[in-house]
Amino acid sequence: MTTVQAVSFDDKTVLKYLDQATDADLDALEFGVIGFDPEGVVRRYNTLESTMAGLSLQRVIGNPLFTVVAPCMNNYLVAQRFEDAAASGSALDATIDYVLTLRMRPLKVKLRLLAAPGVTTRFVLINRRA
Amino acid sequence: MLSEQEDEFEALTQFLYMAPIGLMQTRMDGEIVMINAASAQLLMPLSRDGELANLFTVLEDVAPDLEHRVRSFEPRHGMVCDSVHVQVGPGTSGGRKNAQILSLSLLKLDSERLMAVLGDATESVTRDRELRQSQAWINIIVTGITDYALLSVDDQGRVQSWNPSIARVTGFEADATQGRSYAMFYPNDGIMAQRVLDRLHEADANGWSLDEGWRQRADGTRFWGSCLIAPLQGVDESKPEERVYSLIIRDISDRREANEALRRSVLCDHLTGLANRGAFFEAAELELQRWGRVPRPLSLVVIDADHFKVVNDTYGHAAGDAVLRHLAAGLVATFRTVDVVARLGGEEFVVLLPDTTLEGAEAVAERLCQSIAAVAVDVDGTPIRYTVSAGVAEMEAGVSGLDALIKRADAALYSAKAKGRDRVECWSAGVVHPASAAQTA
Repeated sequence: MTTVQAVSFDDKTVLKYLDQATDADLDALEFGVIGFDPEGVVRRYNTLESTMAGLSLQRVIGNPLFTVVAPCMNNYLVAQRFEDAAASGSALDATIDYVLTLRMRPLKVKLRLLAAPGVTTRFVLINRRA
Repeated sequence: MLSEQEDEFEALTQFLYMAPIGLMQTRMDGEIVMINAASAQLLMPLSRDGELANLFTVLEDVAPDLEHRVRSFEPRHGMVCDSVHVQVGPGTSGGRKNAQILSLSLLKLDSERLMAVLGDATESVTRDRELRQSQAWINIIVTGITDYALLSVDDQGRVQSWNPSIARVTGFEADATQGRSYAMFYPNDGIMAQRVLDRLHEADANGWSLDEGWRQRADGTRFWGSCLIAPLQGVDESKPEERVYSLIIRDISDRREANEALRRSVLCDHLTGLANRGAFFEAAELELQRWGRVPRPLSLVVIDADHFKVVNDTYGHAAGDAVLRHLAAGLVATFRTVDVVARLGGEEFVVLLPDTTLEGAEAVAERLCQSIAAVAVDVDGTPIRYTVSAGVAEMEAGVSGLDALIKRADAALYSAKAKGRDRVECWSAGVVHPASAAQTA
């Protein structure tokens, strides 16, 4: 990375930043970013996440997150929390320990789940330096 | 632009991500080497420490005998277990709750590698259970290999009239039979008055009620029999007090071994031979339904071997297993046939006692504690002494279900441990489980 990170994984205002960030902005971040719409379709995917997952953007963008990109999050620990937040119209900002299985290896990470009323895109941030 | 090879690799990667079934490769000690997304989806809710480093550790609470099964599997390669059902929580689920029943297969690839296949079997098991009942019912009706007794009973389970088939199968003559409860065909502690009525209610609700187990002849000898109860009219067609049921008793002793082997493989804990979690939750839920219909005393005891880790660390795994088997035998000897005795996981056991008050259950648990503390287990010439602690709780109106009842008994168990172990504690409103928040998280 040649640029200084504009925002950190645990920054309080990260959702606001991500919502307005360009693709280049997301690529400059040192954590994985997946943004998806209310239907669960992936709209944002940064280069770091693409590299780590071994999936190129064209395989991911426009596809459903919880079935095609990250089925491992399709349980009450992750997917359900986004649904609950949407159903109750409340904001979601939770950081949880999780294990990803990218490239078939168990990898401990911290996930930050972000959603807010009035922000169309929801985000999962992946910090591998957990 | 991706090369063709890279593109293919990427497609393969995504294929594994999307596979709707869990796939893992582990070492013989359970360490996970490769794991796909569906596995993580199913296993993460079970992981206590938030890690997926070792399959046996993640499943320790719900399938404690996995490592034992793998260790005792001698062939160099082959199926260690094939679609074994692992009961995670009680009952069935809807929505995106975590899976309640997992299906697990373990294939030994060679002396160092295991392949694991994991699926969510919650729905299929529920369907299977219904199907199994229907099949059992059809079997009873159409296969006439051995003799059967056919009789009719009234709404209280009393035999209405005698016929020669009763004497042929059970040896009971007319004057010993008429007007008496069908409980006479069960060994002394095999069925209770309330259970006699429960089965009639279940027959009303489901169209039949079937149970298999020891039955008793007039001369006191036992045979392995099945009892099928079916209402003779539809529920709406008659007043409750005029209801009549047919009862078919069959001597199936010749099928007992085959049935038992099948039953054991599905319902029993591999190490101790006690009921496993799945069998326990199924039996306990039925008992709670009965309680919901007609509340009556119903108690639950959780039992935990004290300082079990020390036994394992000091004497080794095999000795630990021997202690668990010894404790299981003690449980079987202490509790009644109608009690549901099961291994919940690790060194934790549970017993559900129908028709038993808190005080009654406490007394039996006390007896168990004393009998365990009184003798040493002989493991290859080494005497090992150990003790157990127990927590007791009784079902009552404020308890929402099986989970809540177990939590109460757990809280009492925690209190018994805190007070110095080797003792029995009963749940009361004052007993708080300091670790309960952490445990349910």
